[in-house]
Amino acid sequence: MAQTEAELLDNPVAGRPTLILRSPDFHSITEAVAEPVERRTPIGWWLFFIPSFALLGLLGVAVSWLFWEGIGIWGLNVPVGWAWDITNFVFWVGIGHAGTLISAILFLFRQKWRTSINRSAEAMTIFAVMCALTFPGIHVGRVWVAYWMFPVPNQMSMWPNFRSPLLWDVFAVSVYGTVSVLFWYVGLIPDLATIRDRAKTPIRRFVYGLLALGWRGSVRQWHHYESAYLVLAALATPLVLSVHSVVSMDFAVSLLPGWHTTIFPPYFVAGAIFSGFAMVLTLMVICRKAFRLEHIITLKHFDYMAKIMLVTGSMVGFAYATEFFTSWYSGNPYEMFTFLNRALGPYAWAYWIMVTCNVISPQIFWFKKARTSIPILFVMSIVINIGMWFERFVIIVTSLHRDFLPSAWGHFTPTIWDVSCLLGSFGLFFTMFCLFVRFLPMVATAEVKTVLPQADPHWRAGPERALRDHRAAPQTRGAPEPAPGGAS
Amino acid sequence: MISERDRVALRPEQATIPPGHPWNRLPIIGAACALLGAVACAILGAANPKQFFFSWLVSLLFFLSLALGALFFVLIQYASQGGWGIVVRRIGETVFATIPVMAVLFLPLLLGLGDLYSWAAPGAAEHDALLRWKAPYLNVPFFLIRAALFFGIWSFIALLYYRGSRGQDVTGDPRMSARLRRLAGPAIIVLALTQTFASVDWIMSLSPHWYSTMFGVYFFSGSFVGFIALLSVVAVAMRRAGLLETVISTEHLHDIGKFLFAFTAFWAYIAFSQFFLIWYANLPEETFWYKARLEGSWKTVSLLLMAGHFGVPFFYLMGRAVKRRGSTLALGGAWLLAMHFVDLYWQVMPTLHPEGVRPSALDVAAFVAVGGCFVAAASWLMRRQALVPLRDPRLAESLAFENA
Amino acid sequence: MPLLLPQLPKGPYYGVLAEFATPGDLYHACERVRDAGFTRWDAHTPFPVHGLEGAMGIRRSPLPWIVLITGLTGAAFGFGLQWWVHASAYPLVISGKPYFSWPAFIPITFELGVLFAALGAVLGMLGLNRLPMHYHPLFRSKVFERVTDNAFFISIESWDPRFDPSATRKLLESLGARSVELLES
Repeated sequence: MAQTEAELLDNPVAGRPTLILRSPDFHSITEAVAEPVERRTPIGWWLFFIPSFALLGLLGVAVSWLFWEGIGIWGLNVPVGWAWDITNFVFWVGIGHAGTLISAILFLFRQKWRTSINRSAEAMTIFAVMCALTFPGIHVGRVWVAYWMFPVPNQMSMWPNFRSPLLWDVFAVSVYGTVSVLFWYVGLIPDLATIRDRAKTPIRRFVYGLLALGWRGSVRQWHHYESAYLVLAALATPLVLSVHSVVSMDFAVSLLPGWHTTIFPPYFVAGAIFSGFAMVLTLMVICRKAFRLEHIITLKHFDYMAKIMLVTGSMVGFAYATEFFTSWYSGNPYEMFTFLNRALGPYAWAYWIMVTCNVISPQIFWFKKARTSIPILFVMSIVINIGMWFERFVIIVTSLHRDFLPSAWGHFTPTIWDVSCLLGSFGLFFTMFCLFVRFLPMVATAEVKTVLPQADPHWRAGPERALRDHRAAPQTRGAPEPAPGGAS
Repeated sequence: MISERDRVALRPEQATIPPGHPWNRLPIIGAACALLGAVACAILGAANPKQFFFSWLVSLLFFLSLALGALFFVLIQYASQGGWGIVVRRIGETVFATIPVMAVLFLPLLLGLGDLYSWAAPGAAEHDALLRWKAPYLNVPFFLIRAALFFGIWSFIALLYYRGSRGQDVTGDPRMSARLRRLAGPAIIVLALTQTFASVDWIMSLSPHWYSTMFGVYFFSGSFVGFIALLSVVAVAMRRAGLLETVISTEHLHDIGKFLFAFTAFWAYIAFSQFFLIWYANLPEETFWYKARLEGSWKTVSLLLMAGHFGVPFFYLMGRAVKRRGSTLALGGAWLLAMHFVDLYWQVMPTLHPEGVRPSALDVAAFVAVGGCFVAAASWLMRRQALVPLRDPRLAESLAFENA
Repeated sequence: MPLLLPQLPKGPYYGVLAEFATPGDLYHACERVRDAGFTRWDAHTPFPVHGLEGAMGIRRSPLPWIVLITGLTGAAFGFGLQWWVHASAYPLVISGKPYFSWPAFIPITFELGVLFAALGAVLGMLGLNRLPMHYHPLFRSKVFERVTDNAFFISIESWDPRFDPSATRKLLESLGARSVELLES
């Protein structure tokens, strides 16, 4: 008899909760995950894909016009030389970080619940990085010489300025994109083999077979594979910390009040994880319903994700408080003015949206009811992302528009092209994600199977419990065992 | 590689210090050291009070940071419902239960606030506009209120968790775990804020013109590494002394080693970020703090920290074998404990000795005095209690824990 | 020891393939096959089964060492490139920093170290696993299609010195295999 979802949640003494509901066996997991990939495209998918693709088209139009006319079509001016372009860049890079956290850091902490969401989260990372890289790419002005950013020997003996954080960004984000793709692909290999082996048409068999590299589940191969997975997770962890730290250094190495502050690196990383988890939540709420995966992506998973958002949101709030205190403590009049200007100046509306969305509203997640209520989770995930977008906007624009010399003060107003680029980037993101869920298994099937109790070679159907931490979940005390699923 | 340890409950004899065991003498040894150190401090300090206050501050911060790191560790274990760490949680609880003792040891500093902090010296703000500006915060009465508040809050949380955990040994009430877990979240937030402001007050304000938003995080990172290092040494020492040999396994040591490795890297990341941003922007109002620590013999200490607190331990703790053997892990832990002391010394002492490193007998005397009290208090508690939370509902899971 | 394909004399058979129902059955069978002294054999699972490497007697993977070497190479390359560009090839005074401004070199050094290490991990893993290997005699078996779904297998190659078509078959059947198949070469 399966427990109700309510019983499964949050009982610290009754053992670890069962992560996968309805006690499935291995085959039913394969079926559940492979089915969306193998059947004919449902209407619902088109309902998401077509608007996304339209927005992608909008991005294409906006970027083409940008290349033709120049950066002036945006609202940028002097002193506000960066606004929506870099806000969007940091926004998307930040979102990507949750995927790596789920894949890599939660793996290192042996959190088994990650297996239901890590594949989609990693895919989300890659698409978010794609969106992110668009903005520095298009904002350079002279796009035709963008290759100057790379250390390629040339006839002028000109080299990029390695001392510049803008170049560290180029390296950090490209390495991050590359490693994320590698990590994601390595994880996909066994699942691609699953689709290959189930493929009914020769084309599918060929394409998935090619991509699966001939994987045959050999334990000797699994051994090196698991070693590679662990190493990649161990590498991705400092990488993700470094990437957003490097992004924060775009601002922190400068002299501007509000930008130059030593807490930026970990503060940006915490904020990135915060917004990234919110985006994963948005996607998972939709996908689990659309693809009938509620027994694999459960309310318990959402409970954990909400707790992580509470933790990282608190870190962001802590950073706000520290910055605010230090701006006074420093005795530096420019620092103090910057913070007062943020809260009370022309962009105060943006500041208070940020504080409400990032600090005040996530407090709702102290309550378990909120952490496990789908409507609240969905709304909150969007609210948090709005708040985090505004955080980057506030940091960038308020420090730029009023810096040291009042005669140099200015104002920034976005144009229709700023808005188009932002909306278009969402188009790129959701288009890619739609394609992903259509053609690739969105749950890491092999990993989820390892989480089932019957994956443990020492599991015996019966009243005994396997107590080891590394195994699949021990059953709650006193509850009847799930039906033996080993014989599949 | 597979170890079957399906023990569901421990017998109390397996988890207490047996009578006649050498560790029973630790409280006396600690107390003797404390007395010896106190006398030495009194004699040497009479001749050189300023040096006394600085040395006492460094040693107090060292042991207090270990206790605060312990508190964070235990709170995070509760909040995250981590399974592996339960067998070593009592060690952390014992360490943070010494916080009230640290509060008492803080009192000698009150006699020397004017020596330690230039803003506390009478008439300091008259010629210094910045100090006048900061006077609403940096004044002695508010400083004292804050210190009382910090120690009060820390003691409250520490005793709440200590008593709760020990009480569970007797009652076996699973609801205690749930209660402590629910409180852990808010407790962590309160601890983070109080610790940040404490580090601002006690360390950052030694250089009252200087400021860094990262400083609270920097202090936290060092204290956490310090505690994990202490944990590794204590866990290995316990096993060597025949205590908890069947309870703390190689797997637990491996996990402690992984934490030590990860947080050594984290400390380096935080320390470097703080330095790097200040170096890069090159603003004189910030760089002077680092400049003082990069000249003369202080430069040697800085290089020692870079190599010794990060470079060498990072590669040392990378390998699996090192983390799984008690002797090698404890060596790494002891080294990092020493480096944590050097880190605090490097943060505090250049205020007193800007011209260079001036080791003093008082440094040793203060360390012996404060350390003796710390060891005496912690070991006295250890004698009176079980060494693991005997009736924690998740103890069995922790006992049977196994690494990949 | 990795299983290499056709470099050894071919016999009429590739080897024996036995299917097992549960990870537990497979685990115990592997222990017995290992103890029986076979060397050219392998187990196949849809997901990594904990502890199976020990049951099979497989040595630790050398991959972490490969990664360490490639990572250090990458970091050295990154640092060297920056030093050469900024302190040797085209030194420029930028924002008052010294030519050899090593703190500013650290981010890229770190990133390139990670990049090379990750490439080392992936390419090393593919190399050690002899992937891509799109053709393998095991794929000829119909039952083997379920190896990526829910079935567990042991395969013993005929090149193994202890292989004997009938005796090995009987051994696997006695270990609780659901089905045993002799595969043609």
